[in-house]
Amino acid sequence: MTTKSAGTHVEQAIYVYEGPLRLWHWINAFAIITLVVTGYFIASPLPTVAGEASDHFLLGYIRFAHFAAGYVLIAAFLLRVYWAFVGNEHARQIFLPPVASRHWWGEVWHEIKWYAFATREPKKYIGHNPLATLAMHILFIWGIVFMMITGLALYGEGAGMGSWQYQWFSSWVIPLFGNSQWVHTYHHLGLWLFIVFVTVHIYAAVREDIMSRQSILSTMISGWRTFKDARPADDEHS
Amino acid sequence: MTIQTPNGFTLDTSGKRIVVDPVTRIEGHMRCEVNVDSENIIRNAVSTGTMWRGLEVILKGRDPRDAWAFTQRICGVCTGTHALTSVRCVEDALGIKIPENANSIRNIMQLCLQVHDHLVHFYHLHALDWVNPVSALKADPKATSELQQKVSPAHPKSSPGYFRDVQNRLKRFVESGQLGPFKNGYWDNPAYLLPPEANLMATTHYLEALDFQTTIMRIRTIFGGKDPHPNWLVGGVPCAINVDGVGAVGAINMERLNMVRSIIDQSIRFVEDVYIPDLLAVASFYKGWLYGGGLSSKNVLSYGDIPDNANDYSAANLLSPRGAIINGNLKEVHDVDLRNPEEIQEFVPHSWYKYADEKKGLHPWDGVTQPAYGLGPNAKGSKTNIVEIDESAKYSWIKAPRWKGNAMEVGPLARYIVGYAQGNKEITEQINFVLKTLDVPVTALFSTLGRTAARGLECQWAAHKMSYFLDKLIATIKAGDSSTANVDNWDPSTWPKEAKGVGFTEAPRGALAHWIRIKDTKIENYQCVVPTTWNGSPRDNEGNIGAFEASLMNTKMERPEEPVEILRTLHSFDPCLACSTH
Amino acid sequence: MTEIETFYDVLRRQGISRRSFLKFCSLTAASLGLAPELAPQMAYALETKPRTPVLWLHGLECTCCSEAFIRSAHPLASDVILSMISLDYDDTIMAAAGHQAEAIVDEIVEKYKGNYILACEGNPPLNEDGMYCIIGGKPYLDQLKKAASNCKAIISWGSCASWGCVQAARPNPTQAVPIHKVIRDKPIIKVPGCPPIPEVMTAVITYIATFEKLPELDRQGRPKMFYSQRIHDKCYRRPHFDAGQFVEAWDDDSARKGYCLYKMGCKGPTTYNACSTTRWNGGVSFPIQSGHGCIGCSEDGFWDNGGFYNRLTNIHQFGIEANADDIGKTAAGVVGAAVAAHAAVSALKRARDKGGNA
Ligand code: HEM
Ligand code: HEM
Ligand code: NFV
Ligand code: SF4
Ligand code: SF4
Ligand code: F3S
Ligand SMILES: [Mg+2]
Repeated sequence: MTTKSAGTHVEQAIYVYEGPLRLWHWINAFAIITLVVTGYFIASPLPTVAGEASDHFLLGYIRFAHFAAGYVLIAAFLLRVYWAFVGNEHARQIFLPPVASRHWWGEVWHEIKWYAFATREPKKYIGHNPLATLAMHILFIWGIVFMMITGLALYGEGAGMGSWQYQWFSSWVIPLFGNSQWVHTYHHLGLWLFIVFVTVHIYAAVREDIMSRQSILSTMISGWRTFKDARPADDEHS
Repeated sequence: MTIQTPNGFTLDTSGKRIVVDPVTRIEGHMRCEVNVDSENIIRNAVSTGTMWRGLEVILKGRDPRDAWAFTQRICGVCTGTHALTSVRCVEDALGIKIPENANSIRNIMQLCLQVHDHLVHFYHLHALDWVNPVSALKADPKATSELQQKVSPAHPKSSPGYFRDVQNRLKRFVESGQLGPFKNGYWDNPAYLLPPEANLMATTHYLEALDFQTTIMRIRTIFGGKDPHPNWLVGGVPCAINVDGVGAVGAINMERLNMVRSIIDQSIRFVEDVYIPDLLAVASFYKGWLYGGGLSSKNVLSYGDIPDNANDYSAANLLSPRGAIINGNLKEVHDVDLRNPEEIQEFVPHSWYKYADEKKGLHPWDGVTQPAYGLGPNAKGSKTNIVEIDESAKYSWIKAPRWKGNAMEVGPLARYIVGYAQGNKEITEQINFVLKTLDVPVTALFSTLGRTAARGLECQWAAHKMSYFLDKLIATIKAGDSSTANVDNWDPSTWPKEAKGVGFTEAPRGALAHWIRIKDTKIENYQCVVPTTWNGSPRDNEGNIGAFEASLMNTKMERPEEPVEILRTLHSFDPCLACSTH
Repeated sequence: MTEIETFYDVLRRQGISRRSFLKFCSLTAASLGLAPELAPQMAYALETKPRTPVLWLHGLECTCCSEAFIRSAHPLASDVILSMISLDYDDTIMAAAGHQAEAIVDEIVEKYKGNYILACEGNPPLNEDGMYCIIGGKPYLDQLKKAASNCKAIISWGSCASWGCVQAARPNPTQAVPIHKVIRDKPIIKVPGCPPIPEVMTAVITYIATFEKLPELDRQGRPKMFYSQRIHDKCYRRPHFDAGQFVEAWDDDSARKGYCLYKMGCKGPTTYNACSTTRWNGGVSFPIQSGHGCIGCSEDGFWDNGGFYNRLTNIHQFGIEANADDIGKTAAGVVGAAVAAHAAVSALKRARDKGGNA
C-alpha cells in the first residue's frame, strides 16, 4: 500500500486488478460486443444481397465471426477461472460472493439505498462493491456460463453427432430444453440479457467513477484503485 | 319396442343385439351396434364415433395463418382437404384474394386427392367386402385372362401367365399360414358372390393399385413438397413459378409441369382401364344386393367445389355441384348458405359434448366444443368397458349436424345426385352410362352399390379435371402471369380487430366447411363440420337418425356373427372417424 | 407348409437377376453406412427368412403415417406386406372386424412371445380414463398394454407415437401421451415426422428384418441413420443462407430464384430429419424444394413452438405470449430508460450537493 500526497487531499492507491485480469476484461468485453452484434445478425439477417450465391458469403462470415468470438470468450473465461485460483483475492471476488454473511447482505442493502438516493454517502471499497459483486456473479458469471453451454450445444448441431461439442453439450442440452428450437430461443434471449448487463455495467462504472469515493474506470486500465478520502475501506475482508 | 323416427325409419330394439367394435378398414375408430330380428334383418342401428382429439379446442388463441397445418392433421387420409378449407376460411375472413395460378394449383391438388383417395378406398378399404382373395386360388388363370380382356381390353397386364404368377404368389402367401391382413376374414361366408376368376382379377388389381397409388400423389409432392400433409399458404400457394428465369430449376418449371402431366395421364389410364371396369364387373355380380340406400333417396347435401376462376365461390363457378335435396324431391335443388345461422346447426343431445341448452342447435360461428363423456342408464358394462351402448342417451364423439333440421347424406353419391338433379351434363352422362351397362333403373343409385359406383365415376371425372387445370395453369403462365401468392394482408397488423369467415370444399367423403372467428389477430373460435360428421351423426334432439344408421336399416345378414353386410354398407361411405370428431 | 416367399423371391419375380440382387445388397449396405462384408449376410437374410409378425395399432391419430407407409417407392408397401413382414393386425386395412379382429391381438401375443414387433401409430389419451380413444368398448391404452406385453420391440411411428403431436398440443384436452410414457419396459424405436418419410419407414422395417437387429438410436430414441442431421445441414438452399440471400416475402423474386427460406420461418436449422437428403415420395421433392419452410414436423412439441412463420419459439410466461426479441427489446428499453432517468437524477443531485458544499 502506498500513500500519495497531493495538495491538501490525502489519496491512497492500492493495486487491485492484476495484469492478466485486466487483459481478460478487455478481451472479454471485445468478444461479447462481437457476439452481440453478430448474434443479432444471425437471428435477423441483413437484406438479401444480389448476384450469385457463390459470389457471397455474408452470413457465413457473420457466423464465423460469432463462432470465433465465442471460442475466444470461452478460452479467455477458462483462463480467467484459472486466474481466480492463482491471482490475488480480488480475482476471486465475482466467483465467490460471501452469500453466507449477514453483514455482507447488509452492505448490499446499503449499496441499494445509495443507488436509490436514499443515503447521502456511498461506502468505500478496494474491490467491487457488494452490489456489483452480486450483479456480476449472477448476471455475468451464470449468464456467460449459460451462453457458453447453449452456444456450444448449438455449435455441436452444426459440427455433427461425432463432434466433441455435440457429445459434451448438444447431446444433453437439447433434450433438457425439449428441442433445438428452444435452445436457440433461450440463447437468443441471452443476447438481451447481455445488452442489459453491459448497459447497466458501463453506466454504473462511469457513475461510480464520478460519484463514489474511489477510482473505477482507470482501475480497469492501470490496475490501481485510488481513493478520494483517507477513511478506512468497508470491504468484507480488508 | 318400436320407435318411429321423424325422418321415416322404424326402429325395433327387441331383437338380438350385435356389436362390431372395432369397425375396421376405415380411418379412425368406430363402433356399430345393430338389432337383428329372427330373420337376421337389421331393425335398429347405432353408430358411435369412438375417438376425440380436441382440435377445435387446441386451435383457440393460435395464429390463423397456422390453422391449415393443425386442421390438416385432422386427417391423413383426406390429407390437405382440411388445409385447403382452412386457408379458404381465413382468406374469407380477411378478404384475401388469391392469384389465378394458386387457384389452378389448389384445384389440381384437391382433384389429385379425390383420385387417390377414391382409388385406395375402392381397392384397399372396400374391395374385401365383395372380393374373396382366398377363392382366387381356385381360379383358372386362362379364364381370368379372358375375363380381363373382356372387361378391359386396353389394360396391358392381362396374360394368363401374369395371372398365374400372381396366383402362385398368393398361394404361397396363404399356404405360409401367415395371412397378414387377410387373417380371420369371412372367406366362407355365403355373402361373397364373385366367381374365382373375378376374385383373382380383383385381387391382382388390389396389388396393382397399391403399387400405382404411390405415383398419383407425387403431383402434390411437386406443389406441396410432401405427401401426406403437403404445404399450403394463406393468400395462395407456397411454390413459386419460374419457367425460364435464373433459378427456374428450383421452382415450378417445365420439368415439374411435365411430371404432373405424365402422372395425370397415367392416372386417367389406370382409372379407366382398371378401376371403372372392375367396379362394373363386381357390381354386375351383386346387382341384386340393393340394400344400404338409407338417406340417399331422401336428403342429400353438397357445398360444391373446384372454382373454375379464382375467388368466385358462387355455385355457377364451381365445377363440382352445390345444393340440397330434401324428402327425395329431385325436382327441387335448394340453395345452401353456410353463413345463415338457421341452415347449418350442430346438435349434441346424443353426443359426448355439453351445450348450455341442448334442445337447441348451434351455428358453427357460435359453436361450442366441450367434451362430456358418459354412458346412458340402459348401457351394459361400465364406463371403461362398454358392452352395449344406450342410444337413448349420449353415445358418440360425433356431433349431429343438421341442414334446416334435416339429417343429410353427403359424399360422392350426394354430389352425383345433386348434379344429376341439376342436369349437370358430365355427371348425367356418366350415370347413364353405368345404369345402361348394368341394366338397372335410376333408383338403383340409392344403395350401397350406388355410393360405391358414384365414387368411381367421380374418380374418373376428377382425373380428367386435373388435366383441365394443368392446361389452364400453363395458359396463364404463357400469358405472362406467374404469380402464386398475394401477400397484401400477410402481416397481421393489416387485419381488422375482429373478423369471421367460412371456407368449404368437397372432400372425398363429402361436404366440408370450417368457420373461423378472429379477434386481435388470434383465433377466437374455430369450428369444423366434416363429411363424416354428417354421415356418422348420432340421433338429434328430435330423434332423426343419421346416414350410417339409416343405411343399415332393413339389411339382411347371412350370418349375424360375421358382419360382412354391415362392413359393406358402412364402407360404402368411406367413414373417416378422425375427421368426424376431430 | 410350403415355401415361404422371401424378399429375394419378390425381386426375382420382378425380373431381377441374382447378380443384380447381390449388387442391390451391397449398394444398400453401403447406403446404410455398413461395411461391404455385410452385404452377403444381408443377401442371406433376405433370401431365407420367414416373415416377422407385426401388430400395427392405431391410437389417437390421423392415419397419415399409414398413408405415408403405403406411398413408399422402394420397397413398395405391397412387397413389405406380402413378403417381408406379416402384418397380422392393422385396423386400417385388415379384413376382419370386431371380435375376429380383436382375437388376432390375443393370438399373436401368445403365439409369438418375444418375436413380434409392435408398430404404434398415434398415442393413448389418459384423461376420462382413456375413453377419448375406445377400442372394443375399452380404452385404447388397454389394447396397447396387452399388445406390448410380449413384443420384441416397439416402433413409434410418427410424431404422435414419438412425441404426442397435434392432439398433445396446448392445452392437450385429452391428455394424450407418447408411447414411451406408458410402456417403459420395451425397446422403443422412434420414427418421428408428421408423417415420417415413407422410404424411411420402410427402411427401418427392412433394416430390422435384414440385419436382425434394432437400429442404433440417438439419446432421444431415433435411428441415427436417418435422424442424426438437421434439414439445414444438407439443404440444397444452404449456399444462399451462407451468402445472405433470402426469400423476404412469398412469391418475391428471391422465392422464384429458390433462395433460403430462413426469414419465412424455416425450421430446417432446428429439425432433425432426412427430408433434405432422401426427399419425399420417391425423391420427388421436399417441403423446402416446393417453396415452404420446414415446419419442424419431426421435432418434439413442434406445434407449440410459436407460429410456423417465426423462427423462434414464443415464450409463455405470466399469462402473455411473446418472442425473445419482444421480451428483450422491452427489457432493454425499460433498463435503458431507467439508466437515463437515474443518470439525470444523479447529475441533479450532484449539482445540488456541490452547490451546497461550495
Ligand atoms: C461487454 C462488455 C463488458 C463486460 C461483459 C464486462 C464485464 C466486467 C466484469 C465481469 C468485471 C469484473 C471483473 C472482475 O472482478 O473479474 C468488470 C469490471 C469492470 N469493468 Fe467491465 N465489462 C464490459 C465492458 C466494460 C466497459 C466498456 C467498461 C468501461 C467503460 C468497463 C469498465 C469496467 C470497470 C471500470 C470495471 C472495474 C470495476 C471495479 O473497479 O469495481 N467494462 N467488467
Ligand atoms: C454473450 C454471448 C453470446 C451472445 C449474445 C450470443 C448471441 C447469439 C444470438 C442472438 C444468436 C442467434 C440465435 C437465433 O436467433 O437463432 C446466436 C446463435 C449462435 N451462437 Fe451465440 N451468442 C453468444 C455466445 C456464444 C458462444 C459462446 C457460442 C459458442 C461457440 C455461440 C454459438 C452460437 C451458435 C453456434 C449459434 C447458432 C448459429 C446459427 O444458427 O447459424 N454463441 N448467438
Ligand atoms: N370425413 C372426412 Fe375427411 C374426407 N374426405 C374430411 O373432410 O376423411 Ni379423413
Ligand atoms: S404423426 Fe402426424 S401424420 Fe402421423 S398420425 Fe400423427 S398427426 Fe398424423
Ligand atoms: S431453406 Fe431452411 S433448411 Fe434450407 S438453408 Fe435455408 S434455413 Fe436452412
Ligand atoms: S416439416 Fe417435416 S417433412 Fe421434413 S422438411 Fe420439415 S421435417
Ligand atoms: Mg366440429
